[in-house]
Amino acid sequence: METNGLKLHSKDNVATALDAMGKGSKAVVSGDDGRTETIELVEDIPFGFKFATQDISPGAPIIKYGELIGVASVAIKAGSLVHIHNVEGTRGRGDVPPQGAKA
Amino acid sequence: MKTFMGYPRPDGSAGARNWVLVLPVQRTANLVGASIGKLVEGVKVMLSPGEEGRTKRDRETIARTFVGLGMNPNVGGILLIAIEKKFSYPELAHEYFLNELRRSGKPVCAVVVAEVGGYYKALGEGVRLARELVNQVSKVHRQPCDIGKLTVGTKCGVSDATSGMVGNPVVGSMADQLIAQGGTYMFSETAEIIGAEHLLVKRTANPQVAEDLLEAVRVTEEKAKATGEDIRKINPIPSNIAAGITTLEEKSLGAIAKAGTTPIQGVLRYGERPPGKGLYFVDAWMSSLSLPLCFAAAGAQIVLYQAGGGDFPDPYPPMMAATSGIVSPLMFLTGNKHTFRKAQDNMDFDSSRALGGKVTVKQLGEELLAHIVDVASGTKTKMESLRHEDPVELYLEGPTL
Repeated sequence: METNGLKLHSKDNVATALDAMGKGSKAVVSGDDGRTETIELVEDIPFGFKFATQDISPGAPIIKYGELIGVASVAIKAGSLVHIHNVEGTRGRGDVPPQGAKA
Repeated sequence: MKTFMGYPRPDGSAGARNWVLVLPVQRTANLVGASIGKLVEGVKVMLSPGEEGRTKRDRETIARTFVGLGMNPNVGGILLIAIEKKFSYPELAHEYFLNELRRSGKPVCAVVVAEVGGYYKALGEGVRLARELVNQVSKVHRQPCDIGKLTVGTKCGVSDATSGMVGNPVVGSMADQLIAQGGTYMFSETAEIIGAEHLLVKRTANPQVAEDLLEAVRVTEEKAKATGEDIRKINPIPSNIAAGITTLEEKSLGAIAKAGTTPIQGVLRYGERPPGKGLYFVDAWMSSLSLPLCFAAAGAQIVLYQAGGGDFPDPYPPMMAATSGIVSPLMFLTGNKHTFRKAQDNMDFDSSRALGGKVTVKQLGEELLAHIVDVASGTKTKMESLRHEDPVELYLEGPTL
């Protein structure tokens, strides 16, 4: 099966869509370790957007490139779109007191 | 030794282009400089952004940028325009520029408006001198020059997911290969290393560089917080978010790939010339109106613009940012196959082939370096066939008083 999702680091809990993919379709995600996993998408994922490769709890770190890119603001189910509606940044937050990831 | 066909300069540097730079060093001299630019072929004009009411730090940035542009290897000769010998702030005095620029060994001429008899006479004298310089500079011909004399700066813009996955990694690989051959490479955009600075700091050449890098990030993040806004409302910019980038940290982690893997030798101010070879970080604003000029003032013969473009409309994408480094050509590339197709009249290089895994990032880095050597040898970038320039903006930090 052709790969249509890319996990940039084995620690990542999100993958990037290499094609636009529809709700209900199966994403074939390849990792930097050569492993492939299949994730059923629970919503449409546009090209270049991220989806969760596992369930993520509110406040848990979002990991891409093997590094922290933000924290989940709500529970995120595997196969869901991961974007500004369910992720908060942790840096340059002039709007809130300092906060970190609850790793 | 690998070579490119460049213009040898008296200071040992090698140009990719052969311009005469017209430099009105005070705002009130802009009229003369701009007019010469319209009449004389082979010149580039750097207009003054205006010096009045600016702090010493900002006046020094203006002066550094002017001198740096004149020292850029793509410049063969310089025409200074000043109002009076002792006009305006000391940092922007006629004598200062004359002395600094003469150190390049290049021909430098000057018109002082008050001495030649006013604006109309200064315009005539300026046209005469600019034409003389153009004819003189044209006698310098291209010859094989060490590729190690190349300096390249990269801005990444309209980032999307492909920027971090292939676009920036290909540029980073090119940077590694250029540096291995003795070249110099710069990256910048301090806001866009926030969240990735812990990775860059591990690569600094010495503890002072590490300290400078972290301080640059600290100051920029403090400025962001002082706005009272979530930085996500400012950067990542709307175009990034519309293309799937979620947080500044994510953008930064993708952005630093354009820095390759070699040690960071120093942290430079806007327009500051690197003191040695290798990789440098410039502490500056990310704007595409500002950064190409910064790199050119720091000595880059070629400026890369690594674009994502994931939210570009189809089939009519916007014209890409059209601000070059005044004397240094701007070259566009992208790791997004859709962007390359949509904006092919502006794009010089397609890195997207690395995504399918058929070509490696390193192979594309080699191809990109070969392409840069071609451009350094005279091949025009797509943007060079367009005469329009958006206004350039020096990175001036204020306050204005």
